[in-house]
Amino acid sequence: MKSPLLAAAAAATLVLAGCGSGSSSSSGEVQLRMIESLTSPERTKLIKTLIADFEKANPGVTVELVSPPLESADQKITQILQTKKDLDVLEVRDHTAKSFTNNGWLAELPTTDWPGWADLTELAQTKAVEVGGKPYLIPYGFYQRTLFYRTDYGMTAPPKTWQELYEAGKAMTTKDRFGYSFRGGKGGADYAVMMISAYNGEALDPEKSFFLKDKRTIFATPEATQALDLYVKIFKEASPPDSVSWGYPEMVQGFTSGVTGMLIQDPEVIKTVEESGVTAWSTAPIPKGPSGYAFQPVGYAGWGATSFSAHPKEAVKLVQFLSESAQSIAFAKGNSLIPISKQAQSDPQFSQGAWKAYLEAQQDPKQVITIRPVDYPGWSQFNVDSDRDIQALITGKKTTAEVLKSWDAFWTDQAKKVS
Amino acid sequence: MSTRAKPAFTGRRARFIALCLLPGVVFVLLFTYYPMVRGAIIAFQRYNLFDLTATPFVGLENFQAVLAEDRFWTALRNTGTWVVVSLLFQFVLGFGLALLLRRHFRGRGLYQAWVFFPWAMSGFLIGLLWRWMFNGQFGVINDLLLKAGIIDERIGFLASPGWAMTSVIVANVWYGVTFFAIMIMAALQSVPRELYEAASVDGASRLRQFWHVTLPHIRPTLALIVLLRIIWILNFPDLIYAMTGGGPAGSTDIITTFLIQQVAGGDYGRAGAVGLLVLGLLLAFSVFYLNATRFEKAR
Repeated sequence: MKSPLLAAAAAATLVLAGCGSGSSSSSGEVQLRMIESLTSPERTKLIKTLIADFEKANPGVTVELVSPPLESADQKITQILQTKKDLDVLEVRDHTAKSFTNNGWLAELPTTDWPGWADLTELAQTKAVEVGGKPYLIPYGFYQRTLFYRTDYGMTAPPKTWQELYEAGKAMTTKDRFGYSFRGGKGGADYAVMMISAYNGEALDPEKSFFLKDKRTIFATPEATQALDLYVKIFKEASPPDSVSWGYPEMVQGFTSGVTGMLIQDPEVIKTVEESGVTAWSTAPIPKGPSGYAFQPVGYAGWGATSFSAHPKEAVKLVQFLSESAQSIAFAKGNSLIPISKQAQSDPQFSQGAWKAYLEAQQDPKQVITIRPVDYPGWSQFNVDSDRDIQALITGKKTTAEVLKSWDAFWTDQAKKVS
Repeated sequence: MSTRAKPAFTGRRARFIALCLLPGVVFVLLFTYYPMVRGAIIAFQRYNLFDLTATPFVGLENFQAVLAEDRFWTALRNTGTWVVVSLLFQFVLGFGLALLLRRHFRGRGLYQAWVFFPWAMSGFLIGLLWRWMFNGQFGVINDLLLKAGIIDERIGFLASPGWAMTSVIVANVWYGVTFFAIMIMAALQSVPRELYEAASVDGASRLRQFWHVTLPHIRPTLALIVLLRIIWILNFPDLIYAMTGGGPAGSTDIITTFLIQQVAGGDYGRAGAVGLLVLGLLLAFSVFYLNATRFEKAR
């Protein structure tokens, strides 16, 4: 124990988070404690039903679920992990996986004597071992972006390239209506990186997606300049001026309220659009660059077990249970996620309607899934800084060249720190 | 009285009192002072969430890194605007409100409750509400201004660097007026009625009464609540964080949102350094301010 005070503080935090009494109860029963991160009321309800099924299948084991509010959940989880106490199963996100494994807080999950492993899609298996080289988590689903577009705003077919998206968006833009739900606020730089990647095309190294195969950064090329110039044009000529500050809710609201005709977002938006009353819409794979390639990382989160669990066997069992096809498909459906189970491919929900675009993207070898450079120490800092640079760029406080130069310098420096 | 009570604070009675105080003391130590001290220590460590297996002491490295950043200085300048303008409007409007609420009228209690309501809400929640109200496309403020014919085109309040600071300040003023109103009203009630009666017998106008009776009486309270407010406004990133996240391009970054960004970036060492700088700044200011106001009183 590094610090008893910290332990006490974290334990008290747990109590305050509303979880009541702690450790295992009498009569030889095992009580597991599990914490989630991307908390939302409906999702918590779903997890609880899955847990109830687990408890039914494993008499003598009870699971207590802690659901801290989303905004501070990962910080809370980190605090608890630092105390190395009273936690067995946890939600690990792609953003937190590296730090959790670096600090030795996650247990390696066995894959050999578990039939569920073979049922995972190739992507799920890859992502499970992506950080740290061993399976420290089993993803429960994926977030991948797709293009949503209105079919009644004069578009006969979805744009296949960013240039086409710009032209279609510009044609659609009038005084009260705009082509594209631009993201200028939090997370905005991610979209700029997506375009820059597409413009770099085949030269890009998908395993280290901010770098080219020749080790230079993707920000150093003339293609990057082209991409970012077009990015600014899309903002200025085809997007609402207000979108400088738009984050996720505004983008989606922009599309569902009819202010914008195109939106690039995660699959959970499918549900939102369906419920919004917009009827004339469809989806398509994300636009490509001039070279015919599109790159995007796939977002994910999963379940992991702690390295210091008092009941490691049961903890692993719970992770495995949640990752088996019946449970994982139910979870993916409830949250509009791309499922991890091979059996989901035959499920009509994931192959029809708005989901068809995902299938199309999966079958296209030039729609490439990349790996975010999360294992570089500056990754988190870059996320914060780059969003700010993007706002400076689109409000004219910085030029394309300035932004790319600083990003190139940042990542060239990062490359030195890792290799 | 006090001398007589003294012997009672020994032996069993003292132990009992100490025992009763203990939970409170432990709570404060654990949740206020421990994090503070820990944060101060972290400021001198390399403490990045990315790798906590090595957290060596690095002296003033974090401070140097923070002070070398332009964004820190921008945030500092913005903090000045944010605090001064917010405070000014909150004070003037709050004072006015307190004076109005001092009079008796039908339904005053209910009205007071309504006015004080915002103070009970979380800053983050208020930020989210204003973020939607100020929205350039679907915001109600744009809608009202358009319908009233005051503007011809929607304004991207949170999207333009010029408007963004104004917008967050408007929200903050709305939020903080209430505090001043409550405190000043309480202070006003402490002014003896006879003074006003005497003043009006002497033929002093309402304005003179305000200037020569009311103000001198509540000045010490005013000085204190202004100081408290300055500290709170400076330490109130919730609103800005929810409304603009410090944007666009840092134009609404104040020093405490800058601190949050360091945390979001995973660099707790730098965040600790910023925290200590804020603490130092506030301490220096408080000492200066208290001295200045005490001098005034002595005069």
